[in-house]
Amino acid sequence: MYFQGKTRLAIVLCLMMMFSLIAGCGGGTNETNGDKAAGDTIRLGFLGATTGSVANYGIPGEKGMKLAIQEINAEGGVLGKQLEGIYEDNKGENSEIANITTKYITRDKVAGMIGDPCTGLTKVAADIAQKNKMVIFSAGATGEGVVEIGDYVFRNTLLDKFAVPVVVDWMLDDQGWKNVAIITSLNNGYSTALTPVFKQALEARQVNIVLEDSVNDGETDFTAQVTKLKNSGADVLVFTGYYTEAALIMNEVQKQNFDIKLIGGDGLYGQDLAKLGLSAVEEKVIFYCGFSTDQPSAETEAFLEKYRAEYNEEPDMFSAQYYDAVRILADAMETSGSADPTVYKEELAKLKDYPGVSGMTSFREDREPVKSPVFLLTVKDGKFALVNKLPVEVK
Amino acid sequence: MFWEQLLNGLTLGSTYALIALGYTMVYGIIQLINFAHGEIYMFGAFVGLFLVTVAGADLFTALIGAMIFCMILGMLVERIAYRPLRGKSSRLSALISAIGVSIFLSTLMALIRGTNTTRYPNILEINTYHIGGLEISSLQIIILVVSALLMIGLQLLIQKTKIGKAMRACSQDLDASSLMGINVNRVISATFAIGSSLAAAGGVLVGIYYNAVWPYMGMMAGLKAFAAAVLGGIGSIPGAMIGGLTLGVMEIMGVAYLSSSYKDAIAFAILIIVLIIRPQGILGKKITKKV
Repeated sequence: MYFQGKTRLAIVLCLMMMFSLIAGCGGGTNETNGDKAAGDTIRLGFLGATTGSVANYGIPGEKGMKLAIQEINAEGGVLGKQLEGIYEDNKGENSEIANITTKYITRDKVAGMIGDPCTGLTKVAADIAQKNKMVIFSAGATGEGVVEIGDYVFRNTLLDKFAVPVVVDWMLDDQGWKNVAIITSLNNGYSTALTPVFKQALEARQVNIVLEDSVNDGETDFTAQVTKLKNSGADVLVFTGYYTEAALIMNEVQKQNFDIKLIGGDGLYGQDLAKLGLSAVEEKVIFYCGFSTDQPSAETEAFLEKYRAEYNEEPDMFSAQYYDAVRILADAMETSGSADPTVYKEELAKLKDYPGVSGMTSFREDREPVKSPVFLLTVKDGKFALVNKLPVEVK
Repeated sequence: MFWEQLLNGLTLGSTYALIALGYTMVYGIIQLINFAHGEIYMFGAFVGLFLVTVAGADLFTALIGAMIFCMILGMLVERIAYRPLRGKSSRLSALISAIGVSIFLSTLMALIRGTNTTRYPNILEINTYHIGGLEISSLQIIILVVSALLMIGLQLLIQKTKIGKAMRACSQDLDASSLMGINVNRVISATFAIGSSLAAAGGVLVGIYYNAVWPYMGMMAGLKAFAAAVLGGIGSIPGAMIGGLTLGVMEIMGVAYLSSSYKDAIAFAILIIVLIIRPQGILGKKITKKV
């Protein structure tokens, strides 16, 4: 079939538009040299949301990743080449992250992907990455079933199943609490997943669970649960949900005029905990997490200074984990002498005692990360403050 | 523990009752289920919060301020969203309009304030009193007393004043009342004003008691209060009070002695059972259908 000049031009333009629609999700920043195979730089794709409901994780993550790339390039790059970050906003949506992952692999020809901070989104991207033999390194996914997807899937985060036994040991041996109450938030997936982890750890130490109760996210009346708690004889309360409900529970505890501490996971790590709880949570709520700016190690201290100088704000867990992920990936490429995922992934899997800014990181044989230490934080004068650092052993 | 839980239930129930009164009054007169009522309650909580934090008001001033604001808001909603539809289109359109107002108001507040939960500052010294073996906090006393006063005030208004008499007349027959020289539109406005101000009082009290206000708080509270109104017999004012208290106590007892997981399920299951046995609600009158 023969097309006249203008018709042909129109078809070409249409095809170009279609192509840019398919590939150009989110109007990213570094799309100028689209199809060119990455020859002069080594590219890393950023997975994370910088808008939408989970942007609180993606925005600091992107900053941490940019800082790491900038530093590595200043030090001379990887394998004699400069690193280049490619940043697309997946808005926290499954369809977006699928498109972006495909774009990174087929169009940008990245050498690896960093992210996503969320478990569900990471799984979507990891399925695609595994099929295309592309390394994906999540900096935040804590849920089950992530590294099980395949040998190209890694993550860099404190896992609840490693942290909780350490926290339980501290509760029993250090604080001497014997009778434990557990409250779960039933409509919160994080909470319903964390409760069995706590129960297992408590049962392993033969602890007496005196009360198992539940609330729902979005409710405000916890009077009945707290009255039950008061009469249960519990020494300590484990609450596995988020900060809002934790603050409201502690408000009610204060109103009912008794003294108990609330232990939880990093779901309590939100500024609103202090704002909603005021005096009711001060040194009463203690939770574990993988990062704290208090009492930093030498690596963390250096990172803090650079981050503050660059962005004029405090880094959080996500910026530290993204930063570490880029560093670890670059190290693996350097050591194995290749930016080919099929080659350097072998080196990556051998990671042991890496002194990252988000703590000491090792991969077990199943590629699950073991991070040490676990930080216990509480609220003091309206700010988060360190209670204790607990070392985690690689088993 | 039983008495403490009963007290928790009565406190929760009296806030439901304050909101339920608005539903039942409006329904009694124009047979409209005002789904925006929960959002009026939410606005009351936020206006109170604003007065306390920005204007530095005390509890009493915040309560009165929020009640006046919501009185106006309630009348405005009626004037803009319901009156133009009244008589001209089916009752269903007014219901849809009410749902629209509900979504509009909660989204508006979300735009103004953001969606996170905020709290009232500690404006009251919380004391705990021991009466026998029972512990009661000053907050619970305040909520129970303020709710009781408001409900007594409402009863007096309905039974002893001219506007109350007009309301009772309108609830029997709008057209006949109109023929008797009652300004029906004014009575309906007054009904919305009173119902909304009670909801606002509920909002402020809940804000102080539970320390949590957020733009979507009206949705579930409204639903529960509506259920309370139906349970008590929709259209009946004492019914709304009894319905609210009953629902509150049932919920708390459900959590205390059965399971927290089924909190709402228990409350609503009892609601369904009551309605199967007494379809008109606890205090509702049996309606002989007019043709």
